[in-house]
Amino acid sequence: MSRTIEASEEPAMRQVPEAGSISSAAAQRRKARRMSWLLLSPGVLWMTLFLVLPMLMVLYVSFWTQTTFTVEPKLTTASWVRFLTSPTYLDALWTTVRIWLLVLASTLVVGYPVALFIGLLVRNKTLQTVLLVLCVIPFWTSFLIRVLAWRPMLGTQGAINMILMKLGIISHPLEMLLFSELSVLIGMTQIYCVFMVGPITFMLSRIDPNVIEAARDLGAGFWRIFRTIILPLSMPGVVVGAIFVSVMVLGEFATAAALSGRKTNMLGNIIVSQVGSLKWAFAAVAGVILTLLMGVVIAGLLKVVNLRKEL
Amino acid sequence: MQAGVLKPVLAVYTALFIAFLYGPFIVLGILSFQSGPEGGPQFPIIEWSTYWYRHLFGLVPPSRVAPLPIGDSLIRSLALAFMTMVVSTVLGVASAQAFRQKFRGSGPVFYLIVLGMMVPGVLVGLGTALLANLVGVDRSWWGTAFVLHVVYTYPFAFLVMLAIFNRFDRSIEEASWSLGVSPVTTFRKVTFPVIFPGVLSAMLFAFTLSYDEFARTLFTSGPRLTLPLAIYGTFAVEIHPNVFAFGVLTTLFSFALLAVYAILMMRSVRQSRQVSAEAA
Repeated sequence: MSRTIEASEEPAMRQVPEAGSISSAAAQRRKARRMSWLLLSPGVLWMTLFLVLPMLMVLYVSFWTQTTFTVEPKLTTASWVRFLTSPTYLDALWTTVRIWLLVLASTLVVGYPVALFIGLLVRNKTLQTVLLVLCVIPFWTSFLIRVLAWRPMLGTQGAINMILMKLGIISHPLEMLLFSELSVLIGMTQIYCVFMVGPITFMLSRIDPNVIEAARDLGAGFWRIFRTIILPLSMPGVVVGAIFVSVMVLGEFATAAALSGRKTNMLGNIIVSQVGSLKWAFAAVAGVILTLLMGVVIAGLLKVVNLRKEL
Repeated sequence: MQAGVLKPVLAVYTALFIAFLYGPFIVLGILSFQSGPEGGPQFPIIEWSTYWYRHLFGLVPPSRVAPLPIGDSLIRSLALAFMTMVVSTVLGVASAQAFRQKFRGSGPVFYLIVLGMMVPGVLVGLGTALLANLVGVDRSWWGTAFVLHVVYTYPFAFLVMLAIFNRFDRSIEEASWSLGVSPVTTFRKVTFPVIFPGVLSAMLFAFTLSYDEFARTLFTSGPRLTLPLAIYGTFAVEIHPNVFAFGVLTTLFSFALLAVYAILMMRSVRQSRQVSAEAA
């Protein structure tokens, strides 16, 4: 650990220790800086051409004129007006925000105790790793298959209804389990929970056990320790997890499409269906609104924690 | 004492959580052995059979259930994932290497790269499709979809390599330089073997993310579908247990990939230890 710090705090270039003169050192530094930019330029160029430019294109096309089957580069705000006055689309915006908040809350509530157990209570490193790997393995299976796997679980003839009926808890199968907003929430919670558990576990496992020991020796109860030590120290993990979950949930459309039976429409679903009917300008408006929404959410979360420092 | 009760309670809770993670998949696995072609995607199992697996490979007589269009799309997806893996790993290693020096503008460049994994796929897919229309480029899986896959996986490779370089012992490179070895040879003979475990992880990330990616591919792949798009197409219609059988097989494939990674990883870790030891 000390070696890492030492290495990163060293001045940038020390290749030629015997070249003591200042001018040669400066030349070396210039050369190194040139090398840095040379190494970076392919990546920066790639991201500019294929990420920044497409995003700008979405913004540009959102002001194009939409005809029945094509878009024309004649600037107008018609698509914007249509979006902002249509209850269907404003409803999709509200659905996106609502589902995002609900999934954020559910992944946190479901995931925090798991992180607490793995990160803080399990002190055996091997067991800790095994448990984390167990949580990560489902991430390695196909996303679409994981979404689809909820259908035989939640359907009226699905596993959950079957078990509940066998146990005599219900007499009729619950219809609300599949093709409802609830099924979308259940599916998303399962898929994205791992991204909340991981960062929180990481932060919790860095807490020095002696601190908690000391607090306990001084007579603090569990809730007091949790409130004053564990929770504040785990906050960066919560925020990083929240960023992961937000980024993924806000741009979602597949889970909603597969598990709500097309009843729940998020902004992503609007974009997909508009492109399907060649309404490019309109899809672009939905895209810009989605970008703005994400920008606000992420900027807000980044205000709380410096992502680069946490990595 | 409260903490004494807390631990077993949370242990049970964690076990339930893991059941929640795996439950749907176990159910899916069981139902993939449903009898066919009359058996549906639900309980009870009429009769255990491997019908849907044979259905997947076209080994059963035609029935009302159309076969999944996976043959060509599987090859396309593998080729795309391989291309994406190579390019994004090279870009990721190069960029992370550049970030080892402090330079002006590193902040914006960092966020520019990380943006690639944050922007929703459907959005950047839409933008690329529009851009391709504007400049008159045909959309294809090896063109427009490929560049977007790299936009998505390159940040992962970059972050993995950044973490590796943060933990990198600079003195072995300096030793090599001071002995008069050129920077290029030093990178090849000293740096690369040590960072190779990281490179492997970056490759694994890039390959699996690209292989599974569909939001970015949806608008950009043109008429020829990749594997996830073929699966996504089945969402709209009635699903049959053949999708489940496919899910089981593709999961096994992912695990095989993971096993190969683990073996290579163990070997390269041993090797990089050797290099470090020799340098010291």
